[in-house]
Amino acid sequence: MASLSKLAERSNLWPWLLLLPLAGYMAIFFVIPLADVAIMSVTEPKPSLANYEKVLTGALYQKVFLNTFLTAALVTVCCLLVGFPLAYLMSVSTPRVAMLILLLVTMSFWTSFLVRTYAWMVLLGNNGPAIWAMGMLGIENPPRLLFTRFSSTLAMVHMLAPYMIMNIYSVMKKIDPALVRSAESLGARGGSLLRHVYLPLTAPGIANGSVLVFVICLGFYVTPVLLGSPREQMIAGLIGHQIEEFLNFGLGSAMAMILLAVTLAILAVYHRRFGLDKLWG
Amino acid sequence: MRLFGFAIVLFIAAPLVIVVPMSFSTASSLQFPPPGYGWQYYVSYFNDPGWLRPTWNSIFIASAVTVLTMLLVTPAAFALVRHRFRGKGAANVMMMMPMAVPHIVMAVGYYSVFGQMGIVHTKIGVILAHTCLSVPIAFLVLSANLKGFDRTLERAARSLGATPAQTFWHVTLPILRPGLVISALFAFIQSFDETVVAIFISGRNAETLPRKMFDSIRQEADPVIAVISTLLFVAVALGLIAPILWRAAAKSLRRGPAPAGRA
Repeated sequence: MASLSKLAERSNLWPWLLLLPLAGYMAIFFVIPLADVAIMSVTEPKPSLANYEKVLTGALYQKVFLNTFLTAALVTVCCLLVGFPLAYLMSVSTPRVAMLILLLVTMSFWTSFLVRTYAWMVLLGNNGPAIWAMGMLGIENPPRLLFTRFSSTLAMVHMLAPYMIMNIYSVMKKIDPALVRSAESLGARGGSLLRHVYLPLTAPGIANGSVLVFVICLGFYVTPVLLGSPREQMIAGLIGHQIEEFLNFGLGSAMAMILLAVTLAILAVYHRRFGLDKLWG
Repeated sequence: MRLFGFAIVLFIAAPLVIVVPMSFSTASSLQFPPPGYGWQYYVSYFNDPGWLRPTWNSIFIASAVTVLTMLLVTPAAFALVRHRFRGKGAANVMMMMPMAVPHIVMAVGYYSVFGQMGIVHTKIGVILAHTCLSVPIAFLVLSANLKGFDRTLERAARSLGATPAQTFWHVTLPILRPGLVISALFAFIQSFDETVVAIFISGRNAETLPRKMFDSIRQEADPVIAVISTLLFVAVALGLIAPILWRAAAKSLRRGPAPAGRA
């Protein structure tokens, strides 16, 4: 044992020995399943590129891809509109208030997507407070809220906003108050203070949060399936549908590969500019 | 501005809080405010094997995932933080990959490959899949801890005559314990909360709690979901607030006797 460890030390084998179990595991339980999806996309039901052709040219699939992109973009923008002002308020309020808001955001972050999806079903349901409030305001025939694009988008904003808030707040709280004071002493007020001081200094947090929210939203399955309109599916829901209902592994895999390619492309661009390790750190 | 901030806080808090009164409701459908309050759905949760079995499955699977993840990740984190070798950058990226791949894509792959291996719809299949998905977060936490590790402590132990194994057991491991615990906790939560892969591969035999909740919300919205949601929400709240209270208590204890001692 001692001689083995000496041999390992001398020939720089140690790191490889330590990495071996995990590398082997990932090869079997990560690489093989992914490779299987790639293979199925060009071999099921017979070897050809027909699946990709169908997915990329079919009107239904194009509509779902477009819908997925637009929804992800909308959710990202809404998360920014929620996240930036809240992060700003936290950075200017007393430490106690900032701590309480941060605690709430963290609590939301750690609460299961399913719990929050269920909560939105209650809030927006036909016997829920949103419809009741509309009735109180004198709206005669309140519109159906649940199982629409509105309900799934709203719930996704709620679920992903913590990612945005935490990313922006982590850079905003590091802004030196002296910078803000000196900008103010030079006459910067309201809008110009925001534009010339806060926005440039929080840009890394905004970029981090936006990339994270957009990418998670592209592949979101649970919430669009449970709260969204069945006529306006997102890509992950459609993939699940192909597999569960039709056992159409070829088509499902082709869509999965396209979703994967788009996701990895966005993350790769991000990685080259900022480094991927910053995204979750 | 303040009003807008209040609106955002309400938007974030309302869905978290609303599950609590819902769980004490007497209504059989989603009705808020509830027509009356009672314990009936708590009673049905704790008596219904249809809900208890998935709960135990989830606890069992997440525990197994935690053990397996830590056994794989701990040596790898040592290798990637403490050693220089060719291919290190690639190994680091590889470790984070399961976080970058959408779970629905992995779900399709597991469903097909595990089907061929004969482990689809088994606990072992879910454990193997979830371990892969827990690796990145456990690795991130542990390697961050390992990077901040002061290696002079190990050198001191060695210079005092400890063997490498003794140094590891009596110095390295105790210092690293908080990092290991948090890393393991993240692995547990990642598996316990994981929904998409579990929906596709856990089946009836290994049904996890998130899968059961998903099916139930999709089909009939059983009011018992409010009970589970409340229990999960309370667990998160306790998990976050307990350390804060603990730290505050420790601080006041330390602050208390100190001046007296000096006087």
